[in-house]
Formats: sequence, structure tokens, C-alpha cells
Amino acid sequence: MLCRVALLLAASALTGCATYSDSFGVIERSLAKREYDTALIEIEKQSESKNGRVLYLLDKGMVLRMKRDFSASNQALEAAKVEMERLYAASVSENALSFVVNDATVSYAGDDYEQVLVHLYMALNYLELGQLNDARVEALQVDIKLREIGENIPDSKFTEDALSRYLTGLIYEELGEWSDAMIAYRKAYEAYQKYQANYGVAMPDVLKHDLLRLTKKLGIKEEFGRYSKEFGIDSDEVGAMLPEGQGELVFVLNNGLAPIKREKIIGASGPSTSIVVGTTDKRKRVRPAAPVLVNIALPYYESRHNNVLKARISVSGLQTDTQMMENVDAIARASLDARMPAITARSIARAVSKVAIQESVDRAGNKNDDPAVALVGSLFMRVAAIATERADTRSWLTLPANIQLARLSLPPGDYTIKVELFGQGDKITATREYNDIVIREKHKTYLSQHWVLN
Amino acid sequence: MRCKLTENMRTVLMALTMSLVMAGCSTSVTRMDAGEVKDLSGAWNDTDSQQVSEEMIRDVLDRPWFGEFSREQKRQPAVIVGEVVNLSHEHINVNTFVADMERALINSGKVQFVASSTERLEIRDERKDQDLHSSEATRKPMGQEKGADFMLKGTINTIIDASGKTQLRFYQVDLTLISMADNRKVWVGQKKIKKLVERSNLRF
Repeated sequence: MLCRVALLLAASALTGCATYSDSFGVIERSLAKREYDTALIEIEKQSESKNGRVLYLLDKGMVLRMKRDFSASNQALEAAKVEMERLYAASVSENALSFVVNDATVSYAGDDYEQVLVHLYMALNYLELGQLNDARVEALQVDIKLREIGENIPDSKFTEDALSRYLTGLIYEELGEWSDAMIAYRKAYEAYQKYQANYGVAMPDVLKHDLLRLTKKLGIKEEFGRYSKEFGIDSDEVGAMLPEGQGELVFVLNNGLAPIKREKIIGASGPSTSIVVGTTDKRKRVRPAAPVLVNIALPYYESRHNNVLKARISVSGLQTDTQMMENVDAIARASLDARMPAITARSIARAVSKVAIQESVDRAGNKNDDPAVALVGSLFMRVAAIATERADTRSWLTLPANIQLARLSLPPGDYTIKVELFGQGDKITATREYNDIVIREKHKTYLSQHWVLN
Repeated sequence: MRCKLTENMRTVLMALTMSLVMAGCSTSVTRMDAGEVKDLSGAWNDTDSQQVSEEMIRDVLDRPWFGEFSREQKRQPAVIVGEVVNLSHEHINVNTFVADMERALINSGKVQFVASSTERLEIRDERKDQDLHSSEATRKPMGQEKGADFMLKGTINTIIDASGKTQLRFYQVDLTLISMADNRKVWVGQKKIKKLVERSNLRF
């Protein structure tokens, strides 16, 4: 009996009281105030975390890029990729522990969509640094990653990442690799068709124009005709979209923060079959004489409040609005939904094993001469069984809720760019200005902003 | 009170032991072409960089263009290394590869070597500085630079074929030597590296 008590005692020591997502409040408040160094100090506290190293690196990389330190951000994100690759192999010891404690004992390797978005943000970092060839490397890695996901989980909703494909197209196009750009745009087109059905993201206008422009340039008449008919844009309009001797501004709005996982607890006590759904606090009602106690803790997503719908970019008299390119919020929810049956099954299996442990401790206690020792043992097992059951609420919390994009052709030169953020009813929520943005001929200049609600 | 193993626990323990034995096989890399090389992750590393540069340079110096140039011009050709573009799926440090090639070329003693465009700018600045501050005897005049006869440039490409935990990585380095006088391609070299990377399914 002692060894079992010791096992659960060790287990309960391993799992702190707060779940991962509870500790994010301080970071979120710092981000809203744009105090990135404060957020980084807070994130640094997790640097020693053994099974949360990937998340530590992802958050660090993301905040560093908000701080516009793109090289340091790439270092952190690259380290996250290496760690994800290491965690590709499932750990025997961690999984064994997760069977008696909870899912959070397993090292977090990142959800599929998170593993893809690392590449997207690294590519964006390289683009903002002006290292086009390095961004191209990330584009190729996204392709490998997506192929791997498609092969492992063929029926997953997330087998294509539309924005990554679109960005890949932009990169190839700027490098003059037209046919590769065409392939990337086609893949983005197919992905947005799925996005429309799964996440309610419509085909962006920028992509429509790129498809038409490139099919026209490459002389793929049949495909051009098909797109032209589908999008309702005729041939004359396409010609006008090709300005000679111009550069381009690509503005990326990382809007808000991705949804956060919370914990819901379903408690049960046997042998009675009644099931109580309650908050965390209610679990404290444990009586020594109580029958076997188990509970199941499951994660669910809670969207974070945001007040920005789109951004308007104004540069020397010209202006354009951002369009939704990626709905991270919806992708995250769909991903958890797909995983829920497996998570629930694991929780139930764990509950069954915890019941077995409680009963065996009770039996051992009955043989004990001192009823007080037996009672303490039984009681302790019940508390431990319930205290250790926590939902795995880990996810990449510094991701935005959605990613929007706007493009604007400009003659080469130095510009001041005004960004207005619009909320409900076309009201301006915030305005930012970016000075000394250089537009070069035949080149794209990337600029991104991450908006976190105050 | 001692810990009695129940039937369940025994099964769990057995499963654990079995999986531990299986976990012994960690990520393994099998190099398919060259011998005695230590690989860690299977990514492009210093060995690849050295191997490719040495073999390429050996090949380029063995080809007819070298003899022809020496016969006609009665001197060694001057070569410059241009850009080697990384078109692979890895963040390859092209600078070390270029440095390896320069080293192999210079050490061959068969060709003369000209500083690259960024290096030249720095040297020109220094020469301007000499003009102002150095003594007459040690001052180097401008307009005496040696122009390159040939430029070496190229690309690094990869093809990845993956299935499950097995990945076949195919690297192809293409180098071209172009005559500066008439844009003639006098030599095209190619080196292929094939690696089989097996990822492990389990770790402890």
C-alpha cells in the first residue's frame, strides 16, 4: 500500500494546482500594454519546464517578433522546431505516467496546426528581415510538414494550410519562379475552398487576382478562363493589376490572441451512478466515509475577446483594407474537437485505473490493525485521485485569433504607413504609424503588427 | 506491508519493460554513398560541405578548359566565387561552403584567386585610406586590380521523399564555371548526396 501512496503522492507533487492556461494572465496583460520585455521575463520563468519546452520557445519566439527582434525570434522558433522533432518519438515513461496521473505529464510537441504555423512565422520573420531565400527554405519545410500530416491523419480537416501556401506563392513569385508560384497559388485555392466549408473563411481577393495574373502570364488559357468565370473578374481588369516599375507593401495583421483551453470537470462517485458537473471548487466536498471517488477533467476552448475586425492601411493617399486569411480560432477548435474522443477515452481509462487503486488501498487498509491509518490511507487516495486529474490545457497561446493581410502597389521610395484598426460599426479602435518603410522596385516589403486587446 | 504485484500491475510492468527495450533504437542515419562519416540529424553538415567542395574543385581542375586557357594565355586563370544560392529545404550556411571551395581552389596552386565583391569594397576603402596616410614607398596605387577570368557560381537543391518515419534526402549541388570574357560555360559540375534518415517511434 505504501508504494502506491508514494506513487500518487509523487504524482500529485508533479502536477501543480493551476493548469497551464491559468498562468497566462500576466503575459496577456503585458502584451496588451505592449510591454514585451515584461512578458519575456514572465515567459522566461518557464524555461526550465521539462515537458513544456516547446511552448516556452514558441511563446518566446512570438513575443520577440512582436518586439520586432526577428533574428532572435527565429532562433527561438528554430529551437522549438528541433524540440518538436525530438518529441516525434513518443515517450514511454511519460505516457505510462499519463495513464495514472493526467495528460499534462506528456511533453507538449504542438498540435498539427501549431507545427505548421511555426514555419509560417519563421518565413514572415525572414521576409521582414529581407532574407527571401531563407523564407523560401521555410516554405519548403511547410510543404514537407503538410505532406507528413496528410499522410498520418488523412481524414483530418487540417491537411492544408491556406495562408502558408499563399505566402509560399508570394515568395516564389518574388524570386521569379513562376511555375512554383503557380502551384503554390493553386494549392492555396484548393485550401481556401476547404476553409470556406470548415472555418468560414472566404477565398481572399488577393489570391483571386494572383491566380488570374499568373495564369495569364504563363499563358494557361483554360485555367484563366475558369478562374475568370468563377470570380467574375474579366480579362481587362487583370491587365490593370500589373503595374510596371512598382514595388509592393504586404501588411500582415495578427489579430488578437488564439483561444485558450479551460478545464471542465465531470465528477462521479461510485457505486451510485449519479454524475455531478461542477466547477473546480466543488471537488473539495470529500467525506472520509465516501464511496469510491473519481472525476474526469476535460479541456474545452474559450475564445478570447477582441474588438478589432479589420485594419485599413493608408499610404500617401492610397488605401486598402485587410482581408481574413487564416482563422486560427476556428482551426484550433476544430482540432480539439477531432481529438476529443481520444482525450475522453483516455480520461475514462484513467478514472477506471484510479478506482482500482482506491479499492485496493481500501482492501489493504481493512487488514490493518489501526483503523486510523487505514482511514488516512483511503482518504488520501481519494484526494490524490481527484487532485491529479487535470485537463491538458496547453496550447500556443501567443498565436493570434486570426491573421489578415493587405497588399498595396507603390512606386519605389520611403513611406510613412498609417494603420487604422476598425472595430464594430466601422469605429476606429486604434491607430499606429510606421515610419521609414522602404519600397523597392519589383520587391515586396513585409510589415506585420500584432494587436492584443487592452 | 510490502508491495504485492497484482495481475494488472504485472502486465503494465511487462509492457513498460518491452517498450524500454524497443526504445533502444533511436533515430538512425544510414549514409548511402560515402564511408566513415558521422551524421547526427541527417541535415546538411560540415562533412557534406567539405566533401562536395573538395570533389568539385578536383573535378573542375581536371577538365580541358584549364589546359586550354593555360596554353592560350600562358598564365594561370584567375577565378572568383560568385553566389551559391541555397534552394534546399534546409537553412544551409552557404558561406562555409563558399569558404571551403575557396580554400580547396587556392590550395590546389593551379589557379589564382580574386577577392569577392564585398571583400573588394573593403580593400578599396583601405587603399583610399593608404592614399592619405601611408608613406610613398608602401602606398598601393588604384586601378591595378586583377580582373577575374572565370566566375564560379551554383545552387544547392534538395528533393525529399518521406513515408512514415523514413525519409530519403537527396542533395544536389550544381556548380558552373562561366568565362567572364564571353559568358561561355566552360564547366558544369554536379555532386549528389543521398541520405536515408529513419526517425524513431519511441523514446524513454
